[in-house]
Amino acid sequence: MARIALVTPDHFKRADEKLCLEARGHTVVTNADVARSLEGILADPPDLLIIQKGLHRHMDQEVILALKNNLQLALLPILLMVSERDLAVGLDWSCYPVDDLISEHATIEEIITRIDLALARTRRVADNNPLTKLPGNSSILKTIQNMLEQAEPRAVAYVDIDNFKPYNDRYGFSRGDEVIRMVSRILVNVIQEHAGAGGFIGHIGGDDFVFMVPLEKAETVCQEVLTNFNALIPLFLDEKDLEAGCFVSTDRQGNVRSFPLTSLSIAVVPCHPGHYSHYGEVASTAASLKKKVKALEGSNFLVDRRKPDID
Amino acid sequence: MKREEIRQRLKDVQSLPTLPPIVSKLNQMVSDEDVTAVKLGRIIEKDQVLTSKLLKMVNSSFFGFPQRISTVSNAIVLLGFNVIKTLIVTSSIFEVMQASDIGLFEHSLGCATAAGLVAKKLGIKNPEEVSTAGLIHDLGKIVLRAEMPEEYDQVAETARQAKQYMREVEKEILGIGHGEIGGILARQWNLPERLVFPIEYHHRPEASPDFAEVSAIIHFSDILIRALGFGFGGDPWVPPLDHQAWARIKLGKSQMRQLLEELDEKLMELQDFTLDIQKDGKDSS
Repeated sequence: MARIALVTPDHFKRADEKLCLEARGHTVVTNADVARSLEGILADPPDLLIIQKGLHRHMDQEVILALKNNLQLALLPILLMVSERDLAVGLDWSCYPVDDLISEHATIEEIITRIDLALARTRRVADNNPLTKLPGNSSILKTIQNMLEQAEPRAVAYVDIDNFKPYNDRYGFSRGDEVIRMVSRILVNVIQEHAGAGGFIGHIGGDDFVFMVPLEKAETVCQEVLTNFNALIPLFLDEKDLEAGCFVSTDRQGNVRSFPLTSLSIAVVPCHPGHYSHYGEVASTAASLKKKVKALEGSNFLVDRRKPDID
Repeated sequence: MKREEIRQRLKDVQSLPTLPPIVSKLNQMVSDEDVTAVKLGRIIEKDQVLTSKLLKMVNSSFFGFPQRISTVSNAIVLLGFNVIKTLIVTSSIFEVMQASDIGLFEHSLGCATAAGLVAKKLGIKNPEEVSTAGLIHDLGKIVLRAEMPEEYDQVAETARQAKQYMREVEKEILGIGHGEIGGILARQWNLPERLVFPIEYHHRPEASPDFAEVSAIIHFSDILIRALGFGFGGDPWVPPLDHQAWARIKLGKSQMRQLLEELDEKLMELQDFTLDIQKDGKDSS
């Protein structure tokens, strides 16, 4: 069923709870050393986390915030285990952006029910791409449509990998997946750093991504994404192709063809308030711009320079 | 028998402790609003334990770049600030820091610096990767120190009394040397082979199944940095240089002179850094 991580050094010491969860088909991950189990959560995230409030050195808060701020893990359900005293004093939910809480005296039946509910809720809202864990098309549509109705100028940018098909043909799908994951990590980290909560990234599918940032950040973000991509892509190519500077392959007719090495293209559509009313219009501006940027050699970005005609 | 037992115990090693002053310095940095992942990286890449943790994470199945990432700067681009911050706040420290811990820290840092300079002299494409191999070449010693402290003390004591090299005593007592221990762990953590082999073969570089040039550079840098007396590599003597490995590198006299001058300058800078770290350590204790 699900992998459940327990970081509850003062509770769940009896084997009963663990046994009950395992009897329900869950896998329980636990480690007596709190620092080590938290590190494990990042290296190999579970499907659900139960964490005790008030860990040493505020590690509980640090980890919850880090997970919830991680664009790829924001949907991971976190249940906070609290004492009666916490409930009496009250909790500052901005420091604890968790999904639910469990009282330390809760019965095993209640704990199991809360776990099932949290997992069910996640399944209901998630349209995330299984490979990158990024939001998929219905979330993209919703988020961008929502943004068009706001007052701040934003940029919507479409990212895709050039010559991805020849890459896949040459190295196989699993290495192709690595490149897609690499691009998603770069986007997540650069956008997180420059735009924080004001940014959004979605995975349209395959090698196509879309992101949104405040308009004034767009060029810096694009620049840095391309710099990082260019620094990393050689690690995903074989020495031989790097030296040749292109992929050489034979097509179905037996003709030898060469393709340029994998690069990245970004088409940026500035969205001033009132210019676009529907997501579809943004997408069609992007489509024609994308053709232009993809025609350029290597990794590039282009910003749509047509003046918005605001009446 | 002992050897198999150690292999089994290595399977459970998920993370290693590091020096308290480094961790407290990084913890101070993460609470500063202007700090960036790149700034944290500049400290992380000076510590062999944190560097190997970072590489373990980025090469893990969740991040999905198995055996592909071999440098701190590339790992940082892929992991991002939040992950690095969490790695720092959850990192464990040696409860009691010994003088030899600082010595090994300095030795590793010196070896990384020397290896990076040699790689540049030889025109190797990615000198940062060679430098990383130099930094973490003694990972096996940290494993012994942290996970098998009794065995570690026994080895150190026997080596001192019998006036033998540590790695020889390790083989006699444990049936396995620190090079191999480090190699097993690095492989278990999915690090790229271009790092695994130099760790495993830094005392016998010509046995390295691949990346023999990098293994030779690490072997040479390890010896050079001991000869210069920077840090403490675990033995009071400088081990002999492998002739075949040297033939593989073969720096000319003028290249060698240049290398020593550059290294001298870099080691002075490092000395400032390691003194700072030790001072911070005393302040916070």
